[in-house]
Amino acid sequence: MKKTILLAAFAILGLVSCTNEGTAVNTVSSMKTPQMENFDKAFKSLGEPQNRPTEEERKRNTSELSDRRKALLVPASKELILSTGVTESELMRKTGGDMSQIIVWATQIYMKKSEDIRNNIKAEN
Amino acid sequence: MKKFLTILGIAAFVFGYSQNGTLIVNNYTPYDFSGYIMANNFAGGCYPFLTSSAPDMVTVPANANMGNGNELRYENYKDQYTSSLYPISQWYVQSSSTISVLRPWNHAAIMPGGTISNNTKWSATKFNMKYAGTTNGVPGFSNGLTLAGNTSCYTAPDYFDMTSGGVTNSAEIFTLTSGGINYTYIQLYTF
Repeated sequence: MKKTILLAAFAILGLVSCTNEGTAVNTVSSMKTPQMENFDKAFKSLGEPQNRPTEEERKRNTSELSDRRKALLVPASKELILSTGVTESELMRKTGGDMSQIIVWATQIYMKKSEDIRNNIKAEN
Repeated sequence: MKKFLTILGIAAFVFGYSQNGTLIVNNYTPYDFSGYIMANNFAGGCYPFLTSSAPDMVTVPANANMGNGNELRYENYKDQYTSSLYPISQWYVQSSSTISVLRPWNHAAIMPGGTISNNTKWSATKFNMKYAGTTNGVPGFSNGLTLAGNTSCYTAPDYFDMTSGGVTNSAEIFTLTSGGINYTYIQLYTF
């Protein structure tokens, strides 16, 4: 009897561990911080009708994103930078509020974080 | 020792950022992106001019973008092969309008920090959008794209859109630059 119970217990343990298999699989999206998700959304929002480049913007001879559209990326960029422990005043001191600097800095943080996530997933699998 | 380490650190920094910058392709559409990836000289003249060669057209599947971590991300001609989800094993390198050669991803001539790498930037694509998982093109959703200011090297707009059945598909290429660090984005949308 004892043996049967023990066997059943192990069998259940085995089943439980198998059902957990699915939930243990992490994806890049599921491991992202909310700040990273907002950063993603900001980039996608550049394609929304009201955010598309205007005729005027398309006539420019520079490849750099226009200031109007950069402004769409700044809030999420700031959020991402602050989430690393940088304070608002440090952010302003380092960038002087320059939109390009803020976005590029945030992008570097984003790249590093998503690389870390990818490496973690690789290490787990 | 400290000095040495500092120099090493600076050298590593310079090397890390002396390349043509990072290319990111975000496909926000329900269609597969299939396109040539190109880079060219910006320091005067268009050569060297590099084009993806194996595969010649890179596929970035439907909805593969930063949102799910499936975007195309190339840091340089070499490391993209080992670090990106969409590796190119061979580049077509034109050094003039008449001279060209095929270079594998790990060839010395296209190493980061080398002359070709230092003097070129991600610049253009020529793409077709296909219904996901098929070889059937989405009517009207194919075009070239190049950075504004680069049309003398590659003739294409930097923005393109087409509306069909109440849906607007658009595509664009732009840069985000600061302090010598350059990101080039190619984005495709359906709204």
